[in-house]
Amino acid sequence: MATPGAPLVAPVPLVWRLVTVVEVVDETPHARTLALDVPDWPGHVAGQHLDVRLTAEDGYVAERSYSIASAPEDARVALTVERIDDGEVSPYLAGELVVGDQFEVRGPVGGHFTWRAQDGGPLLLVAGGSGLVPLMAMVRHRAARASGAATELLVSSREREAVLYRDELERLASAEDGLNVVYTLTRSRPAGWSGYARRVDAPMLAEVGPAASASPRVFVCGPTPFVEAVADALVSLGHAAENVHTERFGPTGG
Amino acid sequence: MEEERGAAARDATVLDGNAIAALLGEIFGGSEMTSATRGCGSCGQSHPIGEHRLYRGAGLVLRCPGCGDVALVVVERGGEAVREVQLLGRWQVAVG
Repeated sequence: MATPGAPLVAPVPLVWRLVTVVEVVDETPHARTLALDVPDWPGHVAGQHLDVRLTAEDGYVAERSYSIASAPEDARVALTVERIDDGEVSPYLAGELVVGDQFEVRGPVGGHFTWRAQDGGPLLLVAGGSGLVPLMAMVRHRAARASGAATELLVSSREREAVLYRDELERLASAEDGLNVVYTLTRSRPAGWSGYARRVDAPMLAEVGPAASASPRVFVCGPTPFVEAVADALVSLGHAAENVHTERFGPTGG
Repeated sequence: MEEERGAAARDATVLDGNAIAALLGEIFGGSEMTSATRGCGSCGQSHPIGEHRLYRGAGLVLRCPGCGDVALVVVERGGEAVREVQLLGRWQVAVG
């Protein structure tokens, strides 16, 4: 365990690097994964993010922060970007951009919302929508390191078609190495759906587990109202605040 | 209901200290600050910077998740030529 206040990662000079998009994968109708060629990539920890800077021809600059989706062990750095239709940055990153395009990034940054295999488990990962991205980096890292840490991943999504990385999650869960993936679909369900069909609440978290008595490391990522509701429910179930790591994202201009 | 939606919309614009990891790194000379803890001078609780609430407006304000007390104010003046930073509470900054 890290000493409170000690950096989990060494300080990284915050330089802007020009990166090249080497692959684009459509994940859902609204989200794309961008695999990047990053010169002199210093490596990252699952859960960290990158700041992205786009500069328009007229000099206008827009910056956004995106979670890294890839595991540290993966060959390429990948971001998954959800398109916000009236946003400034995401319609380009998750829409117009093509392979070979370049933009600037700095990072990786962040150390609070991170997990490394040596930190151990059990883990409870709770994702709201594209809040799954940094948690996916943890799940991929866990698999790459054959960590075996007991892990519950609870994914809340409006509908099944909006769930990122569906096939990969199914594959990872089928390995039966301690990863269990549970879905709740809040808006529409496929015919015959037998899973959860409501917003994440305390009874759902209690059923999914692990119980607070097992002192799991909990990571919650999603839109702010989702994170607040889940964090409150976790506290009501007796999870210690210091075990609950939260990360919020919101429509800050997209 | 209208009021609830309004509150939800406002909540949705509130992020947390994780979102300014890079900015904090600049201010603190490259240190990773989201895992650093801050002792609040108002409520006495200690929380990681990453758990503090972030409000963006003309500048940005970071607030204690326990009581809402101001932890950090950053205002950029004259473009980005000058950055005005106000820190409150006890920030535990790792050295070395």
